[in-house]
Parts: sequence; structure tokens; C-alpha cells
Amino acid sequence: MKKFIDHCCEKCTHTKDNPCKDFVKCCIEGPVCHESSSCSARRKAIIDEVALNDQFIIC
Amino acid sequence: MYEKHLMICGATGCLSSGSNLVEEALVEELEKHGIRDKYRLVMGGCPGFCEVGPIIVVYPDEVFYCRLKPKDMAELVEKHLLEGEIVERLLYKGPDVVVPARFYDTIPFYAKHKFNVLRTSGIIDPESIDEYIMRGGYRAFTRALSMEPLAICEEVKEAGLRGRGGAGFSTGLKWEFTNKAPGPKKYVVCNADEGDPGAFMDRSILEGDPHAILEGMLICGRAIGADEGYIYCRAEYPLAISRLKIAIRQAEEYGLLGKNILGYDFNFKMNIKEGAGAFVCGEETALLGSIEGKRGMPRPRPPFPAQSGLFGKPTTINNVETFANVPLIVKEGGVLEFAAIGTEGSKGTKVFALAGKVRNTGLCEVPMGITIREIIYDVGGGIKRGKEFKAVQAGGPSGGCIPAEQIDLPIDYDSLNKAGAIMGSGGLVVMDEGTCMVDLARYFLSFTQKESCGKCTPCREGTKRMLEILDRISEGAGVPEDLDTLDSLAASIKDSSLCGLGQTCPNPVLSTIRYFREEYEEHITDKFCRAGICKELFTYRIDQEKCTGCTACARVCPVDAIKGEKKEPHEIEQDLCTRCGSCVEKCRQDCILVVPQGREADVSN
Ligand SMILES: Cc1cc2nc3c(=O)[nH]c(=O)nc-3n(C[C@H](O)[C@H](O)[C@H](O)COP(=O)(O)O)c2cc1C
Repeated sequence: MKKFIDHCCEKCTHTKDNPCKDFVKCCIEGPVCHESSSCSARRKAIIDEVALNDQFIIC
Repeated sequence: MYEKHLMICGATGCLSSGSNLVEEALVEELEKHGIRDKYRLVMGGCPGFCEVGPIIVVYPDEVFYCRLKPKDMAELVEKHLLEGEIVERLLYKGPDVVVPARFYDTIPFYAKHKFNVLRTSGIIDPESIDEYIMRGGYRAFTRALSMEPLAICEEVKEAGLRGRGGAGFSTGLKWEFTNKAPGPKKYVVCNADEGDPGAFMDRSILEGDPHAILEGMLICGRAIGADEGYIYCRAEYPLAISRLKIAIRQAEEYGLLGKNILGYDFNFKMNIKEGAGAFVCGEETALLGSIEGKRGMPRPRPPFPAQSGLFGKPTTINNVETFANVPLIVKEGGVLEFAAIGTEGSKGTKVFALAGKVRNTGLCEVPMGITIREIIYDVGGGIKRGKEFKAVQAGGPSGGCIPAEQIDLPIDYDSLNKAGAIMGSGGLVVMDEGTCMVDLARYFLSFTQKESCGKCTPCREGTKRMLEILDRISEGAGVPEDLDTLDSLAASIKDSSLCGLGQTCPNPVLSTIRYFREEYEEHITDKFCRAGICKELFTYRIDQEKCTGCTACARVCPVDAIKGEKKEPHEIEQDLCTRCGSCVEKCRQDCILVVPQGREADVSN
């Protein structure tokens, strides 16, 4: 998972043709539809790469 | 993981002062040391302080480097990045700080800023949708998708958002009109024409945070029931257009534009239309005509665009900055947060392009209701070279001039209107004692006269006649009746023109006559221009007592009109002198005098 649009695992199905209502929330707080520490770590890695400091994220 | 992030101002202002060359030099230095991969370099949006560009802000250290040159990069890399030591000589210095300032919180220019619209400009990579989402982006849109359309209009009304493009009309009310207009096809249009000379607020927002505009337009689309939007942006803004195209592509890829967005029964298609850069095409009906492929000419209203706009369909048209405010309002808890800033009648912040004779020029975002004094002295750092503040032109060529006596006037829609100016889109040109108010009025009127589309006779012919009178006055051929003639021409142009261009273009003339009548009278009666600007009314002479023969004036004179030996007083050959004023600017001894007919004024300092 390099970008938020990439799927964290096979449980994520969001695409423009098969959209998920929770997509935006899920980018930062996800995964919303399942529990997985490795899936949430994947999202955190995207954030950590570019966050300038610890106030960078706004939920 | 990167060790540090280097945010380089990659907006048009800093690019023109060489930030791309600074970036190239930085990359070269990093490669030379074999550490390129450790650092993230972003050509980001505008941090506002154009006067001191090019700028690099280093995170997480929070260090603001300014006035950078490519040759500074070796030291920045070796000292700061490799040794962890701040390069003090590249920090902000100025008469307003005792010690070099390290970051935004200690630079006086930023003390009165309130970053709302410019919240992420300079902080994120404008070409990354992920970073926009990290900063809270598309949350307000997601919320709007689950709301009733009229409830969105209601929130925008309740927040008190007024259009930032000129007239200050209630945005929520405008949306409600379009929502209630019958018909299945409706449009959202973003006015990014930004034709005021010297204005670059909208360009900076588009370059620094393009997704904020898309999000504002999407929320509007949801509120009014539109499924298509157009961004009308002048072709002279290539960087803004390229960033918008990237943002649209990304939003499509992420399913934030297109069909059944995020699973809701909402579709939206975004288009960009490049304008050819005519001022009148910023007027909403002319703009809509231009998108339709017709000549950009205003048409009568009613019908207003909300009833019959683009291709005859109900349309909401808003300014860039208006749309950029929308996600802040529609996010959870946004209405109260937004309305807590500003004055009773003007809520939120306003972005201004501060130009003219202030020390700190650039872009500032301040709460509505801030006074002119605070903008000029706190943000702008006062008048250059210790001169006296004379007036400020607010609202561009359609705006008016506010004199020094009103320096404590709060800047909000209603106070500015009362003073004979307008908020306009946010241009502020500051003038000092060296500005001739007749010349200023002539400059702005010559702009609107050239930009008049020619459709209405009063605007087409009236502005030409007014300009002829102003030319005559500044050439010393004015007659006392001219002021009454200007007044009556202005009144009929304002009353009988079809669009806002004609209705407002006499404002600079009327406001300068209102506040600086004696200067007009001096030009007419005494053939005297106290500022030494109107070339027919004076000659330059070198004070023979004061001149040290330093030759600075002779070296700068473009027509070799200044003669004299080194260390001997110089003289000006009147037949050659074009009165360009270059010598006055250059002379350190203040010895170039303006010699008018009958009176003398020293403008050299
Ligand atoms: C001659 C003329 C030029 C204008 N130029 C602009 C412009 O460049 N940008 C803009 O947003 N509004 C401009 N306007 C105002 C628009 O007609 C319109 O009122 C505005 O886009 C509405 O958006 P708002 O309600 O968000 O302010 C101009 C108006 C006139 C009369």
C-alpha cells in the first residue's frame, strides 16, 4: 500500500466503480470495516512518510 | 523515512525570484554528499511573504530560510542538514526584529495572520491528494453527501460566508436560489479569472491547495443539485492549471469525482476552461458566455445565473476563495468555528495581496475587521524608506482610495463601502507621499477604459472622455470646470452601465476627488504636481550646494542627460531629460529637486 487508494488487504474493496462510503475516514482512521493492526500500520506508514510533525494529521 | 522535509516555495512569485534554481542547487548539493534520499524536497504552495522569497522551510526543525540564492545551498546542506546547526545568516532579519527570526511564530509579518484558506498552502505537496486527505481534506464533502442539500445551504448561510470575488453576496443564499430553481441540469462554476492588476490571491490558493477548490465545488454541487462544474482560469496561470488538472485526475482515480461518488446517488464531472485574460471576463455573465464559446460580454441581469446561467441552466458561480472557505464551514463543527472570526456583518478571514510602498509585500490572510493600520504597520512593516503613509487603494480598479485620516477603518465589506471603496477580490495597494493621486486615478481608469468590452455606450465612450480630462489635468491643461464634468460623467456611467465594470470604474476617480480635491486643484490652477510625478508640470534640477559629484545619478540616467566631472556638482540637460525619476531614486544626498511652475517641492527622500 503506497497510496490511500491502494487496498490494504483483500477486505478493502473501494474503487471508483465500487465505492465505499467510509473511504475518506478510512484513509486516516482505518481500517473501518475490519480489525487489523497490520492494515492500520500500512496506512500509518503512508502518513509517516510525509507528515512534517505530529500536528500534521487533522481528523 | 525521511530525516527532514524541505518545503520550497514553488508558487509563481518565488519561482520568478528563482526558487527553481535554488531547488536545482539544493538537489546538486544533496547528490554531491550522497544524501539525496534522506530528504524530501517539495515545491509547495505560497507561504505569503513574497518580499523575502525564495523561501525554504525545514521540518520538523521549524526553520524558515529566506532570500535564498543557489549559492547558499552548500552552506545550508553542510551546516544545517549534516551538522544540525541553523544557518543564522539565512534567517529572517529586518528592522522589526531584534534577533534573526527562526519560524513563522517570531516573524512579525505573520503575527496577525489567521490561516484558514491558506491552511495547507506551503505545508503539503499540492500534487498529492493523500496529503490533502491527511490535513482533513474531503471530510466536509463526505459529510455533505449524507446531508439534505438545503441543510448544506442553511449551514453556509448561518456561518455568514459572503462571496470573496467582489460584491460580498451571501453564498448560502445564492446556493439556495439555484437549489430552488427548476430543472434537472445545473452547473457549478468557479471564477478563477482574477483580472485585477496586482492581485494573486486566487492564483496562490489554486497553486497551493487545488483540492480545496474541488472540495468546495463538490459540496456546492451537492447543495444545489448540480452534476457538472467548470473552473474558469486565465491561461496566464499555467502552474495553477497544471495543478488543477493533476488534482482532478487524482480525485477521479480516488472515486471523489465521477459517478455514484462514495456510493451516494451523486455524480460530478469537473472541467477546466482557460480564459484569454480579459478583465471583463471575470464578470459572471461575460464569463459564462466565454465558457459557452461566445465573446466575453456581460448580459443584463435578471435573469440571474441562479435561474438561467451556463447554457441557459441554473448555475452557481463563486470565486476561488469563496469555495476554499466552504470545507471549513461544512466540516463537523465548522459553522461556529468560522463565524467566531470576523465582524458582525463580515465573517471569517480575507486573503489580501499587499503591494505598493510597504516594506513587506506579499499575501496575507487576516481576520475580517482588522484595521488598515494593522495591515500596513504590523503585517506590511510600515512604509518603505520611512516615508509618510498617504492612502491605500482597496478593491483594485473597481475600488476606491482610502486616505491616511481613515487609517483606523476596519476592513470589512460594510466599512469599505461606506468609505467609497470596496473589498473587491482583495488587492491592497499602499501609497506614500510620493504618489500623485491624479496620476493614480488616471492609471486605474486607463486600465478599465482599455478593458471595457464596448457594449454599453456610457462605459465605452464615458471612460474615454473621463480619461481625456485626466490626461489634460496631468499635463497642466485642466480647467476648473473639469472636476464637475468628471463628477457628472462618473455619475452617468455608474447609473447607466450594464455591468459592474462600468458601474464601478469611476470609483478611483471619485474617491481621489473626494479625499484629495486640493491635489486636483493644484494641478489645474497652479500647474503643480506636489509628488513630482506628472511630467509636464515640473523639471528636475540638481542642488549645486548639496551635490557631491558622486556620479550615481549620471550612471543611472537612461538618456545621458546628466553631465559633470567626478566630485564636482552635476547638472541636468533639460532638452534631454525625460523626467523618468531614476536619478531621484538613486541620489543618496537628496539633492535632486522638483522645480514646478511657481513652487518648489523636494521629493528626493
Ligand atoms: C469587471 C468585473 C470583473 C470581475 N472579476 C472577477 C474575478 O476576476 N474573480 C471573481 O471571483 N469575481 C469577479 N467579478 C465578480 C463576479 O461577477 C461575481 O460576482 C463573482 O464571481 C461571484 O462570486 P462570489 O459570490 O463568490 O464573490 C468581477 C466583476 C466585474 C464586474
